[in-house]
Amino acid sequence: MSKLLKGFVFAGLLPLSQAMAWQAPVRVSPNLSVVLLSDENASVVSEANASVAPKPVRSSTQETINQAGLDLRHIEENVRSGAARLLGKYPSPASAAYLTFALDDRIARVRRAAIVSLAELYLNGFYIHEKPLVEKILSKLGDSDVEVRREVSALIPRLSIGLFRSSFEIVEINGRRVARAAPATLRADLLEIARKAFFDPDAIVRQNILKYHYALRLPLSAQVLDRLLSDSDLGVLLTALNRVPSSTPSETVVRRVEKLSRHPDVGVRKKVVSVARDSNRRHPGYRAILRKMTIDEEPAVLSMAAVELARLGEKVDPKVIQAVGDYLLGVAGASTQVMTILYAVSAFGDEAIEIYRELTEHTSSKIRTIAWQRLLTFDNGWGRADVWLPALADRDKTVRRAIVANLNARSRNFDLKTMEQLVSSDFVDVRTFAASSLQSARQNAAEEVAFDLLIDEDTGVRAQTIRALASLRAPGWLKIMSNSLLDEEYVIKRAALDGLLGDPVQGVKTIRKFVSEHPTDSITPLALAELKSRGITQ
Amino acid sequence: MRLAFYLFTALAASFGLPELEAAPPARDAIRIVQLLRSDNVLRRYPDALPSLLRHMNEETTARFDTDPLFIQSLEDEQLLQNPILYINCDEQPNLEFSDGEKQALREYLERGGFLYLDAGIKASFLGSDLGHSYAAWEERPEVKELFSNIFPEKVFVPLQRDHELFRSFYKGLPDNKDLKIQANQKKLPETVLSFVEREKWPQGTYSFVGLRVKERIAVLASPICAMGWGKDEFGAWIPPISFRIRESSEGFNEKLKLASFKGGTYEVKREDGLKDILYSEPGQRPLWVQEPTGKWRIFKYYSGEEISNFAHAFYTRIGANVLMFALTN
Repeated sequence: MSKLLKGFVFAGLLPLSQAMAWQAPVRVSPNLSVVLLSDENASVVSEANASVAPKPVRSSTQETINQAGLDLRHIEENVRSGAARLLGKYPSPASAAYLTFALDDRIARVRRAAIVSLAELYLNGFYIHEKPLVEKILSKLGDSDVEVRREVSALIPRLSIGLFRSSFEIVEINGRRVARAAPATLRADLLEIARKAFFDPDAIVRQNILKYHYALRLPLSAQVLDRLLSDSDLGVLLTALNRVPSSTPSETVVRRVEKLSRHPDVGVRKKVVSVARDSNRRHPGYRAILRKMTIDEEPAVLSMAAVELARLGEKVDPKVIQAVGDYLLGVAGASTQVMTILYAVSAFGDEAIEIYRELTEHTSSKIRTIAWQRLLTFDNGWGRADVWLPALADRDKTVRRAIVANLNARSRNFDLKTMEQLVSSDFVDVRTFAASSLQSARQNAAEEVAFDLLIDEDTGVRAQTIRALASLRAPGWLKIMSNSLLDEEYVIKRAALDGLLGDPVQGVKTIRKFVSEHPTDSITPLALAELKSRGITQ
Repeated sequence: MRLAFYLFTALAASFGLPELEAAPPARDAIRIVQLLRSDNVLRRYPDALPSLLRHMNEETTARFDTDPLFIQSLEDEQLLQNPILYINCDEQPNLEFSDGEKQALREYLERGGFLYLDAGIKASFLGSDLGHSYAAWEERPEVKELFSNIFPEKVFVPLQRDHELFRSFYKGLPDNKDLKIQANQKKLPETVLSFVEREKWPQGTYSFVGLRVKERIAVLASPICAMGWGKDEFGAWIPPISFRIRESSEGFNEKLKLASFKGGTYEVKREDGLKDILYSEPGQRPLWVQEPTGKWRIFKYYSGEEISNFAHAFYTRIGANVLMFALTN
């Protein structure tokens, strides 16, 4: 800071009224190049319009910044705070310098306005790279006003860019001037201020410094972490727990986390499970915590602990597994946490099957979908119609759709009994699936149910059936296709036409016959166009 | 609130729900239908609605299925089986609906359905920026056009600050106890708190417009509220929210007229029907506002844990009020 230039405005040059508010000279680094914008946005009053009242002339950016900079020294607190607010709208090195200066104002309201404006500069993508300025901002972590401290603590990750820029210093070694890299460390006094912030009276400041201490390269000792793990503020406590997996393993911290596993707040206990899971390879105490938490009174916590233990390969008590199943059955919907547990139930091995089976009756369609998918996978059920058919009776289309998507990717060599059940379904999507399965179903099954599907009440099912029959070239298919060309529904006509076009000999012949006999039918123009595209003319 | 639940049961009974194709298992929870055109669309706050529904289950006796029922089209037959439809307008690729969907929506609303259009109000200056909420007092143009086709004879009307919606479950702004912070902890910076209490959300109210169908409000639209509902599995709010606050100062009425400005201006309808003129520069958040009273104020942006927590608590209370209003209205 001592190398900084003298201030470019001197208190002595100011009117007395403004000089009274003077506190310290503005210190602008010589490296700060204040761009003169040469009035690029100043309005020009047209001389031709001299009789018209002139529009207010906006000042240039530089003029506005300079005026605000002057106003920061005004005796009136309101003027100073207004200037600080305005400067936040003009991202520039000069604005940053003026605002940093305003952080020393004796009135807290002005300092607040200045720090909020500095935050706004960062928010708009303007980063301050001048180390002295950034150090000044960081020093306000020790400000007497809590709002200023909160803003500074929230800014820490952005400040680190200016604080730890690589630089060099010239030193004299054996009479020679040598340039060498300057260590990127925090100044000792700032380090002390930042350390004290861990125990700031305000919980938000404590929380922020805990979140961002790494950005200041400030180590978090086990002692400090232990103290913060006993913080009375929930936000600080959860943030401190977040820090446990990345801190040095310590008995003190493990004991504290163990104590927190009995915390009255469920959210904290859930966090403890997550921390114990993430830290279990670093200290055996964490796995012991997980084991103890499988008897937690809150089913969600118990379930989280149990599935984590199972994932780690530990055998879980059948009673606990049952409790996990009961918890999942009782949840009202599929939250992120529930989904995590739901998937992790697989880690229970064979005992998971029963849980998934029960969950296929859950009220949540999302849970039922996953339960069905898992159950069918576990039980090798995809190949067994008696296992997956009940899933297609689910009341929710999303469940059925998910199961059908899985079945579509597998062999569908369905027997007559399976096809009959699909065809008799109440759900259109299931019958459509039956129609699309005609191609791969056993021949006798396909022949047996095809007629039912052809007279289905739903057009989509009928169209799908026609396409399937056309692909199969089942006996009498040409007759079915030509009849379908006369159907009232265009979608059926189109399906039949597509089917016939697939057979260049018999199919095309049938189409040609149809168009000659029905020149005004709605499908005829399309049929003619299709024939023409194949080089066939009537 | 148990009364609310019974009222809902009665409402559902009179709703004229069509019979299901297959007998469903006994349903003990209200299912919210959410329009999601495609699974591939970028979700705006996917944790929001389930978190709000969990909150409702925890804080009220109403019982919601916390797993919304997603539909891709308003013609989905499942819509008519559930009394509340939620559409996050920012989550839709566009707000164009087919004639069939418009007809289905009209039928749904006339048969007692309720529609909440989150982000159904969107100030023009926000453009394509989805991460902001701004209290304008008219529905977005796409919503206006949509409903001019569905109910040509009806218009959206702004809800007054004393509307029952704002008292249907919660009243007022969150206090330290609601925020789960210590009694002596400063919940918001002074200027922020003062603006919030007097202008932004007085007595816990917000900008809403409503459309009446058969003597009841069947459609509600608001600026995006879902951003304030989400909670992670440990109960922490997600994502962080910041505040836009209007601040005045000595001489701003003159200074802001003359200060450097290179952007454009936007008009936004206020609660009193007059219009604010917003000054905004490309790549920056709006700078300041010229109010119809002749007053000029600057926008300041506040972020941080306390701001975010307060905003989340507020939006969740608003969301809870909307759901409770839908059940009891």
